[in-house]
Parts: sequence; structure tokens; C-alpha cells
Amino acid sequence: MNEIDRREFLRRMMILGFSASAATLLARCGAAQSPTAPPTAVPTSAPTASLPATPTAGPTPATAQPPTPAPAVGDAYLAVARGESPAALVQAAIRAIGGIERFVKPGADVLIKPNICVAYHGPEYAATTNPEVVGALVALCLGAGARRVRVMDNPFGGTPEAAYARSGIADAVKAAGGQMEVMSEMKYATVPIPQGKDLKQIRIYRDAVDADVFINVPIAKDHGLARLTLGMKNLLGVIWDRPAMHRNMGQRIAELTSLVRPTLTVVDAVRILLANGPTGGSLADVKQTNTVIASADIVAADAYATSLFGLTPADVSYIPAAAKMGLGTMDLAGVRVEEIHV
Amino acid sequence: MTPQSWRRIRQAVQILAALLFAYLLLGTRQGLPTFLPHDLFFRLDPLVGAAAMLASRRWIPALALGLATIALAVVTGRAWCGWLCPLGAVLDWMCPRKPAAQDDPRGNWRTAKHALLLVILSAALLGNLTLLILDPLTILFRTMTAAVLPAVNALLIAAESALYAIGPLQRPLEWADGILRGAGLVGGEPAFQQGIVLALLFGAIVALNAVRPRFWCRYLCPLGALLGLVSKVALVRHRVDADTCIACGKCARACPTGTIDPARGYAADPAECTLCLDCAAVCPTNAVGFHGHLVPAAWRDYDPSRRQALLALGAAVAGVGLLRAAPAARRESPWLIRPPGARENGLLDKCVRCGECMKVCPTSGLQPSLFAAGLEGLWTPVLVPRLGYCDYSCHSCGQACPTGAIPLLSLDDKRRAVLGVAYIDENRCIPWADGVDCIVCEEMCPVPEKAIQLDVQTVTRPDGTVAEVRRPRVVRERCIGCGICEYKCPLNGEAAIRVRAA
Repeated sequence: MNEIDRREFLRRMMILGFSASAATLLARCGAAQSPTAPPTAVPTSAPTASLPATPTAGPTPATAQPPTPAPAVGDAYLAVARGESPAALVQAAIRAIGGIERFVKPGADVLIKPNICVAYHGPEYAATTNPEVVGALVALCLGAGARRVRVMDNPFGGTPEAAYARSGIADAVKAAGGQMEVMSEMKYATVPIPQGKDLKQIRIYRDAVDADVFINVPIAKDHGLARLTLGMKNLLGVIWDRPAMHRNMGQRIAELTSLVRPTLTVVDAVRILLANGPTGGSLADVKQTNTVIASADIVAADAYATSLFGLTPADVSYIPAAAKMGLGTMDLAGVRVEEIHV
Repeated sequence: MTPQSWRRIRQAVQILAALLFAYLLLGTRQGLPTFLPHDLFFRLDPLVGAAAMLASRRWIPALALGLATIALAVVTGRAWCGWLCPLGAVLDWMCPRKPAAQDDPRGNWRTAKHALLLVILSAALLGNLTLLILDPLTILFRTMTAAVLPAVNALLIAAESALYAIGPLQRPLEWADGILRGAGLVGGEPAFQQGIVLALLFGAIVALNAVRPRFWCRYLCPLGALLGLVSKVALVRHRVDADTCIACGKCARACPTGTIDPARGYAADPAECTLCLDCAAVCPTNAVGFHGHLVPAAWRDYDPSRRQALLALGAAVAGVGLLRAAPAARRESPWLIRPPGARENGLLDKCVRCGECMKVCPTSGLQPSLFAAGLEGLWTPVLVPRLGYCDYSCHSCGQACPTGAIPLLSLDDKRRAVLGVAYIDENRCIPWADGVDCIVCEEMCPVPEKAIQLDVQTVTRPDGTVAEVRRPRVVRERCIGCGICEYKCPLNGEAAIRVRAA
């Protein structure tokens, strides 16, 4: 009796094993026949330093991110939009720096990284990126023909699901046709940082490096160590071990930026958090500034955002560190900044 | 309907009940997204209900549903055990062998479960619920929560991560990951102290099946004992028609609780019979039937006597006395950090040790206590901040608790509930000991006006250099003891900031 059961068990396991391998083979064939659309690299003389090849530890072939295309003549290097409607600010700022088509080609796989650091408060507390800003970006990308637009962050306080919901971003993204993704452990890989001096390698969410388009959407707010959390600081959400970044923070954040190189950075300063950041929780610390900053240059975007707090780029350690590494410019006098009132 | 099809119906009901248990278990998470009460099985458990109400001296409306189970026993005896109990189902399915030829229908060890029941109820009278750790539903729920599901989660994540390296599998894995997350099988990194101990205990209960089928149910289960005593007056009972019975003994061999006694004309004790209908299904002459009776069934040798009841009461008095004289009752451990509002609420005489709060806790910071609450508080919830913090956006434990041991607090009230206070270990804290900036604790502090403040100070580092550093300082009156600072402290091993109980 027992033996027959065992034999039967083994027989079934073999059938299962064969079907699984057959399925894998089929999947491989399928993948070979329909390669994902390669990112359309546009030759450019972008002011940002040329992107290093991004090797990945896993067997996934490293897909080199296309360098951000240069602005056409007449486009602003950095745009600052001010006005009442967050969505209109996003549209205006991106139009000014060349339009979303400059960054998102038809068929592109787009990743949007807002700051959804905690599940504690609604957007009025300015601890998380404004949902209307994120929603408008999703709509723009899909309008430009993106294959899919995923939005994600890895909150340090509360579950991702709760944080996505509380921030209002889940609803806004869904309404705009995008999808929220919970960042699974399986998608982290340890990759070398070619320009890294302090950090030689880092465990990072693969898609942050591999996606065709990576749009970084920080909210500008107070931070105890970095003074401000802006675009580059927001990239801490895509790495595995955040506490490790708190030593020699400015340099380490700059080195992380050299690896991720967002296609586009949109700083949400509709509301900014002046104290008790990054978590917030008191409306007394929130200031309504009705501003959105956009640039392909993350360093420039962060540099401009410091002015909203009455600071200079040099006050926020990772900005000079990144400028020194050639990741962008913090000298805004040397580039074309367009200010728009919407 | 033939007896065989009745048995098939019973098996189907058993599977459905176990699936419902699994669904409610997996649905016991933040938001409690189940269409039935997530704690339905505990509400139906009359032992949990009676003990919790006795111990806390109050009427707990949600647990009144246990009366339905009592009513069911009045009608159909221990049908709960054979048809509905999810632990009974697991034990049926994991029975390694068919019943032995000769069983022990009169075996006196069956009285052990009565002793356990009487001790539990006597201790409850004295305000103690420790032995509810042996309620079958708390055993199953706790084992699943603290051992099985964390293991499943770890294995699935390891499998996902390994397979994700294979390019063509990435898309299917993303899809599968979404499904598994939705089902609550992946995510949240649950990890529990004593998970292995609980798994071994559960394994032992299953292994006892090898000694006798459903060993747990016949000899040990206190809920089975309670329902068995009620079943003495059950209306529907097993009866063998003496005229058609050919005394082949098949029914006695098929009986999973071994209560069919060949020496008594193949009669069964309704207090031991689970109405599984296996006997009726194997009877070649259809002599086994289940019919209505109005006269209470005979008292057996193994049924509780007055002497046993007094002995149990004495044991409970002695046991509770010893527990109350233990050092833990004299001076509470500083690490006894209770869930929000529970300490003020007097958790010990209300907590039935079900583990719902630990299952629902999104950070798995709520852990089964081993020493912090003394032996009396074994496996009651205690926050271990180094393993998980109390999430500022969550008040699920109070919602999940079936007895109100953890009070139902609004999110605003829960945010003000003080669990403890954080203390910095200045000998190990990076800015204090090394003169190097860190501030992780300050960054994480969720209180709107941060309970951890940074003081810029000029210090001499261990190597003699002088530097400016931001040193953290805890503002006691703002600290709620959520423990996220301790959880996130980047030091290895013990954190340099630790929460002590309020």
C-alpha cells in the first residue's frame, strides 16, 4: 500500500517536473521571439556625465540606460512652475524642458519613484509626494505611449500597501492608468558602483537601474542629517540597506545617484515640510509653496529646491558631492532656468 | 442517502471548515479584509468564551457565539470535533495509520482531558488563563501564525529570489508574487521567537496520532472534554441495531476515537463519538444508525468525578498561588512592553493566548512572551522592538483581539498610547561613543514633534580629533515607546537606544 503510494507520488512528481521544464523552455522561446522593445538611445551631448555601463550581479543582461536626451534649442534646462493646480504645474514644467516625449518614447517601461516614506499621514502633511503631481506624471507618460507606468516606494514606517493608500498616491495612480508595485525582495540585486569610492557596490532594486525611464518625484522637506531630503536623497528608497547610508551621507548619496541616474527629476514643492521631517505630522510645519521643479539634471533640480528653504546648494551635503562627481550642475547661473506662472 | 454519502458530506464539511479557518487566518492582517469576522472560530469556541468571561468577570458579547457550539453539542454531541474543528481535521488528515484492531473504549487515560478542562475553568475562576495555550484553536492559530506561515513566507521569498535570476521567469514571477502577496503568504517578513518550539509542540500532537488515532482529541483536548460533557445529553447519538449487527467488529476498528466497545454490543459513548460516521460507512449490514435519544448517556469510569473536580480545583489554586508568588508578579520586567492600551487594561485575565494580535501586527513586533511576563503570561503578546516596531499608522491589534484584552482604540488614541520610553545607551550610540553623525533614530521618530532631538555639540572623538556632531536626546514626555528607533538603530545586535516598559 505504502509503496504504491510512493511510486505514484514519484510518477506525479516526474510529470510535474517535465511539464515545468517544458514550460520554462517554451517561455525561453517566447522571450526570444518577442524581445522587449530596446530603449531608444538618442545620441546626445547632455550636460550630465556619460552613464557608466550598469553591470548587474544576476544573469540578467545589463540594459544600459539611454542617456537623457539633450534639450532641443529653446528648451529650458530647468523649469520652475508656480500656481494653484499641481497637475497643471507638472504639465507646464515638463513642457518647458522639452515635453514628456523628450524622455518617454512609445513602448517605454516607465518607473516613477515618489517619496512615500511612511504610512502615517495624508498628503496635506507634506511627508509624502503630492498625489496629483504623481498622477499627472503617470498620465503624461501614458499619453506619450509608455508601455506601462509603475509607481513604487519602500516606506520605512508602515506597510507599502498602507502607505500607498494613505498618501493618496494609490488612488491617483490608478485613476491615471498606472500601477502601484510593491517592491519585492526578489527584485533586489547587488551591483557594483563604477564611480563609487566610499561605496563599491550596493544592493538595489533592479528595475531602478534597468527600467527604460526612471522618473524621480521627491517632495522637498526637512531632514535631520541631510538638512533637506530632495531628489538624490529620495533615491534611498530603491536600495536595501538604508541605515548604512547615514555614515558619510553626502558622498554616499552622490555615489548612489551615479548608479541610478534618473531620466527626469520632478521636485514636488506644492507643500514643503520645514521641520520634524522626514516623517512630519504637524500642519504647523507645512508651508504651501505651490511650486514644481523639473529637470533632467537631478543636481540642478535639488540645487534650485534649496532656495525654497532659504538655503544654498552648498548647505545640503550631497549636492556639492554630486556636482563634484560630475553628475550635474549646482551652479544655476550657468544654465537656462525658466520660471512659469500657471 | 447511504451512510457512505453522509460520510462524504462530513468530509466535505470538514474540508470547508478548514479552508474557512485558513482564509480567516490569512485575512487576519491590517485592515482585516475578511467577509466574516476574522476571529469567528474563537467566537465559536465555548471554552475560550467561558474561561475569558470567568477570569475577567464580565460578559463578552462577541464570545456569546460559543453558546451556538454548546447548542450544537446538545443536538449532535461532539459533531464539532468530527465536522468543524480545524485541528481535528488536520489530525484526521495526518493520521499515519488506520485504527488498531483493538482499541481502548474504556481507557482511563481519557480522563486527562477532563482534568485539564477542570483545571482551566478553576484557574479562570481565580483570574488566570495560562492553560488556554492548550485550547485546540489557539494551538492551531498560534502554530500557523508563529511557525508555519513565517516558514512559508521565507521559503517562498527564497524560491522567488532564486528563480528571478532566470530571465524568462521574471514576468511570471512578478505575477505570482502579486498573487502570493494578495493572499498574505508573502510579505511583511514575519519572524517569531519560539516558532520552532511551537512547531515542535504541534508536531508532537500530530505524532501522538501514531500511538492512537486522534490521540489529542480523545485524551487531551479540553474543548473536546467540555463538548463531551454536554454530549452526554445529546439528542442525536450513535446506536447499533442488535438484530442486524453481525458482530464483525469493523466499526470498532474504523472508529478514530476508539469509543466503540465490542464488550457492550458495539455501543459508543456520545461524549467520545465525533459523529464522523466512519462506523456507519463500513458496516456491512447497515446496523449502525444515528437516532434521537432523550435519556442522558451513562457516566463512565473516565468521566469526571467529584473527587477529580476537587483535585482540579486544588491544583488550580496551588498553581495560581505559585504563579502569583513568582518574581515576575512582584516586579515587572522592563522588557514587558504590552500592545497599546493592554497594560492599563489588565491583559492577563482577558488574554486567551490566541495569537490574533501577533498575526495582525504588520511588523511582527508583537511576539509570544516567554519570560518577560513570567510563566503566567506565557505566549501573551509582548512588543519586542528590535524585531518589529509599533507602526504609527496601525491600530490593528485592538481590532483583532477577540476578548478586548487589547482595547479597541481609535488611531488617534492609539497614537497617544504610551507603551514605554526610549533610553539611549551613550556608551554605544555612534554620535555619543564615536563622535560621528548618525541620526537614524531621530529620522524615524514618528511623533509630530519629534521625541528625539539632536543637539549639535563639539566633541573629542576617541582618536583625539575634535569634531561637531549631532547627538540624539530623548524627550521623555513626547516618547510613546513605539520602538521604531530601537528597530532601526544601525548598530549590530542590541540597539543603542532601547525602549523600556512604561
